[in-house]
Amino acid sequence: MDGNRDSPPKRRREGNEDEYDSPPRKRSVSRSPTDASPQYRLAERPAARRYSRVDDSDDDRRYYRDRRSPRSRSRSRSRTPPPPKPSSLNYKPALILRGHKKGISAVKFSPDGRWIASCSADCTIKIWAYPSGALEHTLEGHLAGISTLSWSPDSKILASGSDDKTIRLWDISTGQAHPTPFIGHHNYVYSIAFSPKGNMLVSGSYDEAVFLWDVRAARVMRSLPAHSDPVGGVDFVQDGTLIVSCANDGLIRVWDTATGQCLRTLVHEDNAPVTSVRFSPNGKYVLAWTLDSCIRLWNYIEGKGKCVKTYQGHVNKKYSLQGAFGTYGGIELSYQYAFVASGSEDGNILLWDVSSKNVLQTLEGHKDAVLSVDTHPTEAVIVSGGLDKTARIWKMNAESVDGTPVAETNSTME
Amino acid sequence: MNLSLIDPFVLAQDCPEVITGRLRSGHSTSIRFSHRGDLLASGRHDGVVVIFDIETNGVARKLRGHTRQVQSLSWSTNDRYLLSAGQDWKCVLWDLKDGSRVRTVRFESAIFIAELHPKNHMLFVAALFEDQPVLVDISAEAPTKYTLPSAPRRTQVERENATEKQAAQDAKQDAKSTTTVTVFTPSGEHIITGTNKGWLNIINTTSCQVQYSTRVTNNIIVFVRLTPSGRDVVINSSDRIVRTLHLPDLSNPRLDFDTLRLEVEHKFQDLVQKLSWNHVSFSPTGEYVTASTWMNHHIYVWERGQGSLVKILEGTKEELSVVEWHPYRPFVAAVGVDSGRVWLWSILQPQRWSALAPDFAEVEENVEYFEREDEFDIQPLEEIHKRRLDQEDEEVDVLTIEPVKAMAEYETSEFRMPVLLDIEASDSEDEVVAVGAGQFRRRSPGAGREWMNDDEVPVSGDEARRAATNGTTAVQNGTKRRRAG
Repeated sequence: MDGNRDSPPKRRREGNEDEYDSPPRKRSVSRSPTDASPQYRLAERPAARRYSRVDDSDDDRRYYRDRRSPRSRSRSRSRTPPPPKPSSLNYKPALILRGHKKGISAVKFSPDGRWIASCSADCTIKIWAYPSGALEHTLEGHLAGISTLSWSPDSKILASGSDDKTIRLWDISTGQAHPTPFIGHHNYVYSIAFSPKGNMLVSGSYDEAVFLWDVRAARVMRSLPAHSDPVGGVDFVQDGTLIVSCANDGLIRVWDTATGQCLRTLVHEDNAPVTSVRFSPNGKYVLAWTLDSCIRLWNYIEGKGKCVKTYQGHVNKKYSLQGAFGTYGGIELSYQYAFVASGSEDGNILLWDVSSKNVLQTLEGHKDAVLSVDTHPTEAVIVSGGLDKTARIWKMNAESVDGTPVAETNSTME
Repeated sequence: MNLSLIDPFVLAQDCPEVITGRLRSGHSTSIRFSHRGDLLASGRHDGVVVIFDIETNGVARKLRGHTRQVQSLSWSTNDRYLLSAGQDWKCVLWDLKDGSRVRTVRFESAIFIAELHPKNHMLFVAALFEDQPVLVDISAEAPTKYTLPSAPRRTQVERENATEKQAAQDAKQDAKSTTTVTVFTPSGEHIITGTNKGWLNIINTTSCQVQYSTRVTNNIIVFVRLTPSGRDVVINSSDRIVRTLHLPDLSNPRLDFDTLRLEVEHKFQDLVQKLSWNHVSFSPTGEYVTASTWMNHHIYVWERGQGSLVKILEGTKEELSVVEWHPYRPFVAAVGVDSGRVWLWSILQPQRWSALAPDFAEVEENVEYFEREDEFDIQPLEEIHKRRLDQEDEEVDVLTIEPVKAMAEYETSEFRMPVLLDIEASDSEDEVVAVGAGQFRRRSPGAGREWMNDDEVPVSGDEARRAATNGTTAVQNGTKRRRAG
């Protein structure tokens, strides 16, 4: 059905000419449109068109086919066709957690998925049980607003970084602060992250320093001469060998944990301040939030580092937003797709498909800017927190269909 | 994950060069790396076993139970259990999950070395002073000891050829021979022992019989170490020669021990200074052999391909005893005899300046710059933006985690030691304690060693502290911490 007509030149990509000259192979592939669908994640194609197979012209189909990587081609041929990739998600509000007296700066699921921690400008941290949403602890001890949280990998300890220049560790089972705070930063602590083993903690501060802490001894192990502007975000890679940091000077630096040396610097031409950064779940990419209302996905390994995706559609001019990676699609790993979740200063939460950059869903509900979004480690659940003092739990296909009121948990009686 | 970003020339170096750090907690007498290489166990002069975290260079756990110097250490394959042998004639098996003592085995004499079975942490082999070596099964509460032979196995031919007088002499000698060192092969099916008469015996673990013997020297075999593959063995003997041997695949059922002949591959020695060697060890692949020197401050590194001396590690002002290689990095740790410090040698990685900015490049000499044709063309910003966004059409996979080669084998038996927040005086255990702002005094002798008075402490330090805080898992009350805020 598809002829040997040449496609319009604008759609041809360099290097594809060779493939073009072997029609039989191509045709065998193009015969089954269902198997083809999940492989195409193209930025410049509108999502709606991609999955409407009815009116696909020959031209379109060849266009898709030629874009496929050799790897995906062999995969789709050898296997049964995978289910089509969903083009939208259906997260619904499930719970609203109220209790903080000021805006919430960060929310985090614990690695075991049983707890949600939220921290706020009211100098407290609240631990909520998941899925009940019951308030478990209110952690008090910081003398100023708290900007950042990090769970230890065993979910027993929560670390918090505050504007009082200290980092504190909290025991979740008792709700008590560890007696020794981490003292060393000269200014607000903006971002912290535990190493995957839980023996180290990295912190970024307004004083432009990145410190690597020995958690057991509560001492600075190493100071990374990182940036010349306030450090906005830090993160550990999944095997703990790399640290990434970003700053208002627009630089993202990747560090070797063992030696403390800078291995890579990523910078976008516009030099927009980078406020938050995190590694992808497999550690091969770095996701960075910038104050030009963009979230960029960087491949830091290849060449000198390359921006591979730009996610747009949210508003981010003023606040340091934090987001997360999530998965959707099948239960089987090979049919799982990744999305990027981030809040927006207009009160929405946006979910983008990682490859296509399409917005999969926009969650509306918050009354003010959403500063922090996190995804549950195993379930299709999102938690968000923002300046409207609420934390909200969103569930995929939640029972609370339209009409039923959203459950609320109130802790003001505490 | 960091390997793809590191200078390949740095990665290609496989021999440590300079001192990159040192660890200190009391007076260390013996050390051993865990199999995954993130922890280093150190046995101290006062009987405490300290687990160092190699990543933070801090103390991760302290194990109290021995009352005398710790003689040897051995990790289980999953790094959860540690066997320590002390000069108090005891072997203790520790569970690092909670720091408890799983088993304590007493002996009637001093212990040279105790090694855990690679696949069963409830079985170990020990070489005893002036006694026969034992294979100890500690799966039951009461340990079962199986005595292993020390006498070499004489082949049929040897026995026939020997004259009566000779045979009598041999028998007399064999009766006097004792085993000085015992190690398991990586499969655990065989035990390799060295005797005071210079014999190397291969003993079957199940039958406890010597299957093969060869005399590598006439002097005492002091130490034996195998490579992780189990195919190479290095022997330190008191005749000041370090020997390496190539072993056949012992687990091969078709191997005939009667026809087996082991040849010494290399003899490493210092002919000029006639140095004797304190301790020997292999590099992870067996490519290098390291030995610390007696009455000398150096560590010799020989390369086995040619059998040549490639490097002498120096920098300490003291003699070094135990020297150990990291399980997969070019990283050597050695214990200082006088100070009890653990010295670390590794490779210094120079900072690559090109990493600091994406437009930096490292060039050998000056390069004339040619500007690109369109380099200074002015183009509308939106156009550039749009073009850039359009180019972002590649597939990205942010989820699939590629297995790392070096770590793959340990992933199945994932054990992670809990991080303790209140390790007493993690920074150092020097004899000086802070008593006020800027004021220090010497620690009074015996202070903090109360646990020593009672030999049969039922619980180790961790447990005792946990009991004191009513069973909360993470203890909150750090007692002897830095004075901070």
